[in-house]
Amino acid sequence: MRRPLREFRPVYVIGIGLHPYQSASETSYVELGLTAIRAALADAAINFSAVESAYTGTALLGMAPSRVMLRHLGASGLPISHIENASASGSTAVHHAALEVATGACDIALAVGVDKPAPIRLAHHETGVRDLIGDHDSPFMHFSLLAHDYMHRYGFTPEQIAQVAVKNYRNASKNPYAQRRTAYSLEEVMAGPRISGMLTRLQCCPVGEGAAAVIIASEDAIIQYGINPSQCVRILSSTSRSEKLYGPGADSDTELTRETLAASCAEAGIAPAELDLVEFHDGFSIEELLYVEALGVCPPGEAPRQLARGDFDIGGRIAVNPSGGLLAMGHPIGPTGVGQICEITLQLRGQAGKRQQPGARLGLAHMIGIGSVCVAHILSK
Amino acid sequence: MEALYEKQGPATVLRGQHCRLCGHVAFPPNPYGCENCGGSGDALEGRMLAGRGRLLAFVSVNRAVRPNVAVPYTVGSIALEDGPVIRALMNADVAPLHVDSRVEAELIETTKGDAPQLRFRAMEVA
Repeated sequence: MRRPLREFRPVYVIGIGLHPYQSASETSYVELGLTAIRAALADAAINFSAVESAYTGTALLGMAPSRVMLRHLGASGLPISHIENASASGSTAVHHAALEVATGACDIALAVGVDKPAPIRLAHHETGVRDLIGDHDSPFMHFSLLAHDYMHRYGFTPEQIAQVAVKNYRNASKNPYAQRRTAYSLEEVMAGPRISGMLTRLQCCPVGEGAAAVIIASEDAIIQYGINPSQCVRILSSTSRSEKLYGPGADSDTELTRETLAASCAEAGIAPAELDLVEFHDGFSIEELLYVEALGVCPPGEAPRQLARGDFDIGGRIAVNPSGGLLAMGHPIGPTGVGQICEITLQLRGQAGKRQQPGARLGLAHMIGIGSVCVAHILSK
Repeated sequence: MEALYEKQGPATVLRGQHCRLCGHVAFPPNPYGCENCGGSGDALEGRMLAGRGRLLAFVSVNRAVRPNVAVPYTVGSIALEDGPVIRALMNADVAPLHVDSRVEAELIETTKGDAPQLRFRAMEVA
């Protein structure tokens, strides 16, 4: 049987670091990754030699990117693994790093996400199983169909959906690591050509480059290295699932999210309403509305109204994507899920500055990976 | 490679799959195994599905990931009469599309000389 994280010993995030998310540049992935890792080591006030295992979440760099990056921190001979789980690669790296520390296989593990834009080759296209739309398929086509279904079912307008992006750009305008740091107005979000259906460019996440790193440790390590307990954030649950067959017409990403988040809350021993903030996979504006309802903090068909009255703002009932989310902080693939853990850790420490959700004690991170997989973490002060 | 659809008299039908073990009806077919129960080999049999259903949602797509795809195009999410929910390209020129419209498959010539392509269109009201 599967055992949840909490059945093992407690694990904590003790250090976080980021390289800003940005458009493709000349900067090598090694530079991106080392910037984030060095920041995380400095944050935890430990040396790389204390790290006993490393997981790299990456989808686009090619085979074996880690050793040639990590060697510049001092080649310690530590075990290295690469995690490719599409958009959830970084989240899955955190999952395995947390499990390795929790089970006692090691005391300090690193999860780093790093990527640079590159042509994406999906194995899905190599299965030999064809469908009717073939090369016409795309993420924006998929999510615009869901947006139109949602608008039709509940009678919402494109502007009501687009308010997700307005909120997330406002949040990201206060995030120095975000790729899009302009607080766009609703008019600006709605302007320009429609990419697909009601989705405009600013309702689709940018896929750029960057890096994020977290260091995960046991209580033994926290004591051994004299790490300040006030900057340690406990990982209560680490949940990873893949898609099942759902009822005809059900959106599989929403149903998979519903199952995974329910399991994650149960494993953490909390109710969804207790969460102070959530970082959702908002690759497209509509997703945040679907997932906030799937989490169960908002009745079906109510998310746009609750969004409009500020429930999901920083300072609202539950801050949703205070980092700016994928839409505004960006979605460099490998780093994204790790970056969510960085944001939640900052928030729970009370170090998020102008983005601080007041009194934040519990936060949830959620990523979907095409295919589909879903990974969720709940962190506690 | 077998086409995913064929003409049967005036109707266009889809080549689907039925699992003898659990009864799951799937589209598109695959040679590997049943997504519902894992049945494989002789458990899987081909089953023709009516090219008719109900339109759940549709959008006009103006951007494509692949350079070989001409834009704009219209795509729909369709609940087939025989069960599966599929996505297909729509012919929105002959009749306006509406959510909940009854739609049917047809084969149309999209590029002169090429094999006819499958599109769904709103059914004419009898």
